[in-house]
Amino acid sequence: MTDLLATSPDTWRDRALDPPAVPPELLPPADATPWERNRALWERHDLRRQRAEAVYEASRNPERGWPVSGNRAVLTFFRDLLSTRKGMFTALVVVNALAAATGLVVPRLLGELVNTTVDGGGLPLDTLALAIIGVVVLQAAFTFVAQRTSTVFGQDLLSTAREYIVRTILRLPLGAVESASTGDLVTRVTRDVGTMSRSVQYGLPMAIISLLTVVLSIGAMLLNSVVLAVPALLTFATSAPAVRRYLRRAPKGYITEGATYSRINTTLTETVEGARTLEALGLPGERVRAGDDDIEVSAQAERYGMTLRNVLFAALNFAFQTPRVVTLLVGAYAYSRGWVDLGQITAAVLYVEALGDPLDRLIGEVDRLQVGAASTSRLLGIAEVRPDREAGDRLPDGVDLVGTDLRFAYREGHDVLHGVDLRLGVGERLAIVGPSGSGKSTLGRLLSGINRPRTGSASVGGVELVDLPLEVLRTEVALVTQEHHVFIGSVRDNIVLAREDSDDDAVREALRAVGSLLWVERLPQGLDTVIGSGRYALTPAQAQQVALARLIIADPHTLVLDEATSLIDPRTARTLEGSMNNLLEGRTVVAIAHRLHTAHDADRIAVVIDGRIVELGSHHELVELDGEYAALWRAWTS
Amino acid sequence: MQDFPPRIATFFTGTGDAPTPDPDTRSPAAFLRWMLRQQWQVIALSSLACLLWLMPLTFGPYIFGRAVDEGILGGSTPHLLTWSAVMLGVVVVGGVFGVVFHTLVVRTWLISLYGTTQMVTRKIAQMGHVLPRRSPTGEVLSVASSDSDEFGALTEVLARSAAQLVSYLTVAAIVLSMSWELGVLVLVAAPVLLGAALPLLRPLHRRQQTERSRNSELTSMATDIVAGLRILRGIGGEETFGRNYAAQSQAARRAGVSSGIWQAVVEAVGVLLSGVFLVSLVWLGTRQVVAGELTVGQLISFLGYGLFMVGPIRTFFELAQKSTRALVSARRAIAIFEQRPPWREPDRPVPLDGTAEIVDDLSGFTARPGLLTVVVSAVPEQSAALADRLGRYLPPDTDPVGEDEAEGLKGRAARRARADRERRRARIAARDEEAATREWGVRLGGVDLSAARLDDVRRTVLVSDTGSGLFAGTLQDAVDPHGRLTREQAEQALRVANAEDVYDALPQGWQGQLDERGRGLSGGQRQRVVLARALAVDAPVLVLVEPTSAVDAHTEARIAARVADLRRGRTTVVCTVSPLWLHHADRVALLRDGVVVAEGEHADLLERDAAYREVVVRALEDEGVPQ
Repeated sequence: MTDLLATSPDTWRDRALDPPAVPPELLPPADATPWERNRALWERHDLRRQRAEAVYEASRNPERGWPVSGNRAVLTFFRDLLSTRKGMFTALVVVNALAAATGLVVPRLLGELVNTTVDGGGLPLDTLALAIIGVVVLQAAFTFVAQRTSTVFGQDLLSTAREYIVRTILRLPLGAVESASTGDLVTRVTRDVGTMSRSVQYGLPMAIISLLTVVLSIGAMLLNSVVLAVPALLTFATSAPAVRRYLRRAPKGYITEGATYSRINTTLTETVEGARTLEALGLPGERVRAGDDDIEVSAQAERYGMTLRNVLFAALNFAFQTPRVVTLLVGAYAYSRGWVDLGQITAAVLYVEALGDPLDRLIGEVDRLQVGAASTSRLLGIAEVRPDREAGDRLPDGVDLVGTDLRFAYREGHDVLHGVDLRLGVGERLAIVGPSGSGKSTLGRLLSGINRPRTGSASVGGVELVDLPLEVLRTEVALVTQEHHVFIGSVRDNIVLAREDSDDDAVREALRAVGSLLWVERLPQGLDTVIGSGRYALTPAQAQQVALARLIIADPHTLVLDEATSLIDPRTARTLEGSMNNLLEGRTVVAIAHRLHTAHDADRIAVVIDGRIVELGSHHELVELDGEYAALWRAWTS
Repeated sequence: MQDFPPRIATFFTGTGDAPTPDPDTRSPAAFLRWMLRQQWQVIALSSLACLLWLMPLTFGPYIFGRAVDEGILGGSTPHLLTWSAVMLGVVVVGGVFGVVFHTLVVRTWLISLYGTTQMVTRKIAQMGHVLPRRSPTGEVLSVASSDSDEFGALTEVLARSAAQLVSYLTVAAIVLSMSWELGVLVLVAAPVLLGAALPLLRPLHRRQQTERSRNSELTSMATDIVAGLRILRGIGGEETFGRNYAAQSQAARRAGVSSGIWQAVVEAVGVLLSGVFLVSLVWLGTRQVVAGELTVGQLISFLGYGLFMVGPIRTFFELAQKSTRALVSARRAIAIFEQRPPWREPDRPVPLDGTAEIVDDLSGFTARPGLLTVVVSAVPEQSAALADRLGRYLPPDTDPVGEDEAEGLKGRAARRARADRERRRARIAARDEEAATREWGVRLGGVDLSAARLDDVRRTVLVSDTGSGLFAGTLQDAVDPHGRLTREQAEQALRVANAEDVYDALPQGWQGQLDERGRGLSGGQRQRVVLARALAVDAPVLVLVEPTSAVDAHTEARIAARVADLRRGRTTVVCTVSPLWLHHADRVALLRDGVVVAEGEHADLLERDAAYREVVVRALEDEGVPQ
């Protein structure tokens, strides 16, 4: 046997050479002149930008896990969402425009008021005051309607988007689900859906509203007085390059920040769940250090974002505040020339003050939308997993399961099965034993139609398992693993999985078969009791029974048990004996076993070593043969 | 002055230094005060910076009014230029301090956020296995991940409110100096507007809470679907659970719309009230201008201030909302931070001798020095309990008490529920303390474990229980978490645990990345890496609980032989019923009802003890496919 650790000297690392969590270049110099400090600050900023870009790139092209889609897919997705809501979208734009427009009338009226006060001309003061009150009431009413519309719109958009994502997840190809880690998916349905929610629910409507307000304000300013508006608007425009640079960089910065926080959380979760392990091994100090390292890294990401914002704020503060001075000076000059009256100047100043806010918000929302788009692209990436099978229209003729010349590789060029032939008799009990890594689980997966063999065929009734529609496959062969997940849902929902149209009688029958009917009927709402994480808690034995009842409903003629009982508490196993018996009754069973007694009781035993069946026969035949199995059996029973 | 990330030495230092400072956990308000006191300088400075940042808003309308009166209406260019220059000065100061304020606010926010997370990590380090006995995992995590953010938000809004208050009073003074009626109006307006809108906040808050809980239910449903995806795709049920999710998603949408509509009401009322205030200010102002008591410039100033008022009122609103949230968060934080380790270090600790005999009084179990003893029990919990005692661990027999259970309750019912939870937590703590401070009942070389320092116990007796898990990192980090093994030692540990295939499966070998909790490895692989790690520690006394329950017979046989060989000469206890281990045991102890009822060699016991035979053979039968 080759030494699996042959490359150990090449891959072992000297811990003393581990780089610190944060490279020293990212720490400010201890003693330096202000000039040097300033230069060092910008060098650090640049370094942090590179780090953020690296994190962003890595998040776009994950090494492991599920794919990430491109920007085009995100745009198409949102365009489709909007195009099916044209009416709603128009209403959103119209009412928000009305709210913004009424808001903009107020400064104009106030200017009018000043004019009246100064020269006594124009509308009488009381009329103007009443008009302003009227406009304010109208503005309040429009604000309410506009906000209400955007809430309804945003929530509708959001619920449609998230339901689409979950439907996509529920359609993921079986082979991919069985082999990929679910961790990445969990992150996507929690963190990425959260980020997407914020941008869909608030970001999109808010961006639209802010944009409307800005456009209308500019219009109102120009209407009020072109002379006063143009210099102010030009000053506003000076911030454009800074804003552009910020919008280009900020999303990467925020995505990096988000990644550091999820890292902090992951580490902390492990720390809490592994508290005892840490204590036993004397590792709390190491763990505290690991947590602090995560925070150091996160702090660097935060500093990048902070500097980005500071640069932006510096530009915005200048661009948004100096128009006050500009308007004052231009206004005074224009007034002296008789181009404008005092009311126009007043209105112009009020507009200038009021415009900063929506502009600020618009920048913030565009920012948020970009972060949301990055999350959305990760969510839509799930949809890009290609289906691993296309159902043919042939249905199996008979129930005999046959595997011929089965080969399979998880990594190209690394076959874990080397041409296995196996024919199962109807109603037979076959046990597969062998050391870990020998390929017995893979064999089980090919025999249950989870993966398509690289060569050869696994068929039932003359039809390839992977060519069967999933609904048919599930009622032919089922793979039973150590997992017995209880879903959040009613008892009924938890059981009817394979045949979702089963009636209550069928469910009760299945529960009776696994010996659970009694305790289920004693539940507060019987079959309708909601169970699962955070709800009515089942004991491990009850959870296991629910898992078995699912299989009774599925009613496949062949079961592949992959270490199905190895993680069960022995006491639970005893109460389950009867349930299990009822399930296996009359079915063909392939049991991938850890324990030799499973093998002892089977009709035939296949010993799998290094991807090949090396021994096949009944217990007695194999003991007689005096090979691998016989040696093991002696060790077990001596 | 503090910077982020803060240096925290609370609860745990990892060195000989005493942890300090301890947070004030007497009440939520006291905790918040303590936290704010920790960084009062930064908060005070950021408040000052905020004040300067607000200068254009505070003085802008006044300056503009003077410029109109003296420069434009008065027609004096020098005055106009002077006031413009003053305005420019104010704007520049505001701009510069806007950046300073932002920098300081990020600092206070992150000091609170990171500091809280660091305190949580240190609390876990300090409490070890005792913390999960008392507090649900989710709650410990939420203190770090969401409550910490509330504390950060509080520091920010506090600094801003203080500055806004000063700025508001300044504006009131300015207006008062021009017209006492208008000044009084400004002074009265803020409390009145605030008072008028506050009643709206309560129903809004309630709806937001419903929305949050609907959303978190939705998230847990999505997580649940992903966690059970193999079953959903393997056995079926996509339709049902897709439908359930959609139904919950619609419920969340309705809750969101309902709270959004209230938000709209609050916004609209805000617009209305500040509009009404503006109009009254203007109307009064124009009267006074007409009466010749005010100048036009002053009227224009008032218009500016009418718009200005929105700022402080919003900020005070935020302060009210965020301090309520911070108090709720503080209560959750206290539930974690107030806990104390139950252990008392002995006054004169006795050093332990790992090469001596270890005896458990309760079960009558003895592990002879240097031998491999297997503990056999028909009830696995009983051998696990023995292992816990040998290692001085409190038994996992408590229901952790959370803080979140009573959400939705109000007023007196909520207070009652809270008091009840506090009582339950105190009860567990008292019981822990009682068990931890009396004589432990396990003696190593005649020394009761309670007479030795706890870290001496941990160093001498290593218990690897079934809950032992892996941490994310490289394979090298997993096998050698302390970083003190040589490569040869690590290789040996991997070989003895027969986990070379894990190394082989990772293209980068020792530097191959394991996911968190070793997810991505099979159950058997995980178990073998955990075993390798335990063996590599080379503890004088090693206690393994079901070390190979997820491993196949071939491999188990190999591991049992290799472990017996490796540990020869050092005390080893294995709790299992597998014959493959019993085969290599120097001695076997049979437990019944937690007490040793038979002891001896495996072959002997098998022959002469019917009870023993029954347990071992029974174990064989349990595993099978029943016929």
